[in-house]
Amino acid sequence: MTSSLVRQALILAALALLPGVGEAIYFRHKISWQSPIPPSELVTVAQAHVWGENVIWVDARPDEEFARDHVPGALSLNEDRWNELLPQFLAVWSPGRKIVVYCSSLSCNASLEIAVRLRKEAQLPDVFVLEGGWEQVTSER
Amino acid sequence: MKTHILAFILSIIVCFGARAELKWDKTEVELHPTPADKQAVGHFTYQNTGKEPIHFKSVHASCGCTTAQTQKDQVPPGDKGEITATFTIGDRTGTQVKTVTVETDDPANPKTVLTLRTIIPQQLEITPTFVFWKQGEKPDPKTITVKVGKEFTVNHIKVTSSSPDFQTKVEEAGKGEFKIDVQPKETNNLVASTLTIQPEDSQKVFYATARITNAPTVQ
Amino acid sequence: MSGPSTLNVQLSTRPQFPWRIVDVIVAGIFIYAGAIKALDPVQFASDIDNYKIVPWPVSVVLAFYLPWLEIFCGFALVVRLLYRGALSISTALILTFTFATVAAKVRGLDITCGCFGHASQHWSFPAHLATNLGILAALLALWVSNRSAKPL
Repeated sequence: MTSSLVRQALILAALALLPGVGEAIYFRHKISWQSPIPPSELVTVAQAHVWGENVIWVDARPDEEFARDHVPGALSLNEDRWNELLPQFLAVWSPGRKIVVYCSSLSCNASLEIAVRLRKEAQLPDVFVLEGGWEQVTSER
Repeated sequence: MKTHILAFILSIIVCFGARAELKWDKTEVELHPTPADKQAVGHFTYQNTGKEPIHFKSVHASCGCTTAQTQKDQVPPGDKGEITATFTIGDRTGTQVKTVTVETDDPANPKTVLTLRTIIPQQLEITPTFVFWKQGEKPDPKTITVKVGKEFTVNHIKVTSSSPDFQTKVEEAGKGEFKIDVQPKETNNLVASTLTIQPEDSQKVFYATARITNAPTVQ
Repeated sequence: MSGPSTLNVQLSTRPQFPWRIVDVIVAGIFIYAGAIKALDPVQFASDIDNYKIVPWPVSVVLAFYLPWLEIFCGFALVVRLLYRGALSISTALILTFTFATVAAKVRGLDITCGCFGHASQHWSFPAHLATNLGILAALLALWVSNRSAKPL
């Protein structure tokens, strides 16, 4: 009796895999396996350069790193001083501009968290995370 | 010959027995600061259950917002100690996970990752925190919704505008929810205001921004 | 003639109708809950990730798989195929959700994703808990009543 129960459960578990995998394939462009940033919200340095003057660069790194070096014209926005820095960022932003957030490298979470807060709390459109982060910017200089 | 073999075997046994071992009570600590707290402190206690002293080669945190202190650099056998991790909350919200990586000369555990989970209570959830009007747009009121966190009771909120160019009106919108109507006097000038939102009987202050922006740039 | 053989017949079938209603109600709940989450697995993955309990890739796997497990178990309960298997998986799922709901409350986590995914984010803790326990009770009742039935 127990073995038939286990067998049935396994069959059900296996059956459920099929539509699960199917959905994963269907949604593959909307979700990334590596990070919670959807592919549509990641941009490369090259893409950002195409936008040119229309980009506002946001540096999500801690204050000391920003002070040492940053993308020319970039604004600092970090979670330590979000309440103080956000209004300064908003003073520069205007509708239509594209926001590109970067931090130390792709494995650093700060750019993702800043981007999420800009999208969810400030409800700004066109918020992107820079692929490759600060390292990518410096290597392409 | 036999004594040599015996000595060799004995020395191997002694070597194994002399292994150091750093045992952690917990490698994951969960913290529940109050809304007024600026920092959350996690204590990671350990004991050297081995026979050799252990040296801490490095202790570093995953972010600048977390600092870690060892009380001592060397732990004699049998001794207990603790690594104190201090997470500066800043303006963060939600569940924050930060790690501290500890490297020692303990061959059994050369690297340990200590995890600090901090659940930051959200007294008010403000959506959106930014309302704007394009220059020349009709100065209709826009609404900011304030939701009270489930573990909190807030009966009134006080909203002040840093600039008289924007007016605010607060309404209660059901249990644990408020609506703030923000309206500019006119939208010709590029003015801005910081809205300060304070729950009654609370020291904690929340912010939102209202401004008049440039008209959209050409894409 | 009568006696043992009649007794056997009586023991091997349970009264069908009232228990079938319970089957359908519980199945309906699971199918509905699964369908709601299956419609937006990207949001569901994000909801799971908010707890920061499992790494992101695990959240993604759970988000795509769990809803369909619920749907298939629901259907199995209704058509009485693979019935026992469905009961066991459903019970395991409800126990897990109940445990997670209580654990979240105890730690002060805001419950944004429960049985019913993002749609139930405004429910209070007592509502979440009561719903879970009610479903659990129904499942346990189905287990007990099914013990005397013909194995499927």
